[in-house]
Formats: sequence, C-alpha cells, structure tokens
Amino acid sequence: MSMLHRIEHVHDALAWEGDMPTQGRYTAGIAGERFLREIQENGKLLGTACLTCDIVYVPPRLYCERCFDHLDEWVEVPPTGRVYTFTLVHLDLDAKPLPEPRMMAFVQLDGADGGLVHFLDEAEPEDICIGMRVEAVFKDKTERKGSILDIAYFRPVTACQ
Amino acid sequence: MEEHVYDSVYLRSRDFEEGRALFETWDPNARYAWDAGVAIGGYLRGLKAGKLIGRYCPECGRVMIPPRMFCEQCFRATDHWVDLHDTGTVITFSLCYVTWDMVRLEEPQIPAVIEIDGASPGMGIMHILSEVDPDAVRIGMRVQAVWKPAAERTGAITDISYFKPLG
Repeated sequence: MSMLHRIEHVHDALAWEGDMPTQGRYTAGIAGERFLREIQENGKLLGTACLTCDIVYVPPRLYCERCFDHLDEWVEVPPTGRVYTFTLVHLDLDAKPLPEPRMMAFVQLDGADGGLVHFLDEAEPEDICIGMRVEAVFKDKTERKGSILDIAYFRPVTACQ
Repeated sequence: MEEHVYDSVYLRSRDFEEGRALFETWDPNARYAWDAGVAIGGYLRGLKAGKLIGRYCPECGRVMIPPRMFCEQCFRATDHWVDLHDTGTVITFSLCYVTWDMVRLEEPQIPAVIEIDGASPGMGIMHILSEVDPDAVRIGMRVQAVWKPAAERTGAITDISYFKPLG
C-alpha cells in the first residue's frame, strides 16, 4: 500500500463512528413571543407597523428592515388573506413519504405586507388557485401551545373565480 | 431616527422548562466517522490479524510503532511495513486506583508504555498490564501481549486484552 493508495468504497476505510449529543434552542424572540402568545390566548394575529415606510410586518419584527427604526406600533390584522402561491407536499422533512400529501401555501394576509407559510385544507388541490381568499382555522384554545401550529390550517373562503 | 436600546432579557433553564419562553428545539445530526488513515488503518488491520506492525524510515533507520506514513524526524515518507513481535519491555507504568470515570478500584489498573520488540528504542504503545502482582511491576519488566480470540477481534487496540509478564 503506498501513500497514494485510494480507498474505493467507504466501508474499506477503518473509521471510528461517534455521535455528539447536541441540542439547540431557538427562541421566538421578543416580537415572536408576543405574536405567538396572542395566537395562543386570543386567536388573533398581530403585526408591527412602520409608519415611516408604511409597512406592516406579519410576523412582527422589532425593527423595520427597510429603515432600521424601532417598531412599537402593534396592530391586529384579520386572519384572512389570499393564496400567493401553493404546493402539494408529498415528503416530510426527512424525505419520507407522508401518509397523505398536504397542501401548503404562502398566504398574504389582509392588512399586512407579509404573510405566513402554512397548511391549506378543506379543499382539493384542483380547487385551489392563486389569489383565492382563505382564512385561518385556529385550534381549540385548550390545544394551543404558543406555536404557529396553533393555527391548524387555512381554508378557502370562496371558490376560485 | 432615535437610538433605541432594547431591554435585555436573560433566559434561564427554568424559563424554558416552565414554559415562560417559547422556543423550538433543534437536534443537529452530529454523527461522525473518524478515518484512521493509511498508517493506523494498516496497524488496526494488523491487530485484527493478531500481529503488531510498524513502519520503517530508510533515512534514520527507525522502526516506528504505532506506524506513521511520515517520519517526523527526517521529514520524509516512511518506506515499508515491518512485522514486530508481540513482546516488549515496560518503559513506564502507573498503578491506577480510579477508573477513567472516577470510580474507586480495590485492585489497581496498571497502564504501561511497552517498548515493542523489533521496533526502535523508545518506540512503544500504551496498554494495560494484568496477570501480575501490582507490587511486582518494574520498569524493564519483560511482557507479552494476550490476544483476544480471532473471532472477537475487531481491528482495535483492544484486540489485545492486556500484556502479561513474559515467561
């Protein structure tokens, strides 16, 4: 075996295998905490408004991404919006097939400049179109945990035109 | 625009455990495989086959164990493998009354560095001594490897169970 000997297959390498047990915690942050608590406790969506730039951030930000000003103008936005784009998801995060494919959409919320990526339900994929009006369906208050999944999904309000 | 200083929020473990802070957890897949490399790979294959092998440097003439592909004294590639004996001489040892995870022992473990016969002076490997009275261990003591049965060897330094006094 020379210095330039090449290993053809990974199982030919003599290796020690190990696992470093690490876990990260990612907090919602000050604005995210308030946003999620409002969903949990009152079933309402909050945003922050930059009056200078005329932008309403949902999910809320603590500072304006455009002018960098601190934002303390909290506004409630309705749990309704329009489908900006959508897709049918067949695989989970580990690329394993889902028991049932699920629709996901980016929902542009009324009264906000942002929106939420969330599930779409109570409709078939062929019933969905870009621009259609949808509304958030909240879980029962007892089931809410302060998570974005306290919104169970969005559902169509009207049919496609 | 006015300067704004955000309030500092210090989070403690209890704030997470008692649900005062909302958070996501993330478990990075931190599995790794550490390749033994060419020299140690060959060494471990040798152990699995029940023999100790070293590498020869033609510049300084040293036979080195554990083997390395590069002589750190001559800055040149080592040349070939050399079969060594599984006997050697204790060049240093310790009587150890605690395990690596701090459990007290009645009978000591005896880690030792053993200069391997056939390798250059000072070339040795660290292992443990057994089948010996701790009080009888001496520097210069002659020892021999006690191998695991071939079927139990995995290509690891623990394929040698321990070294015992020779003869």
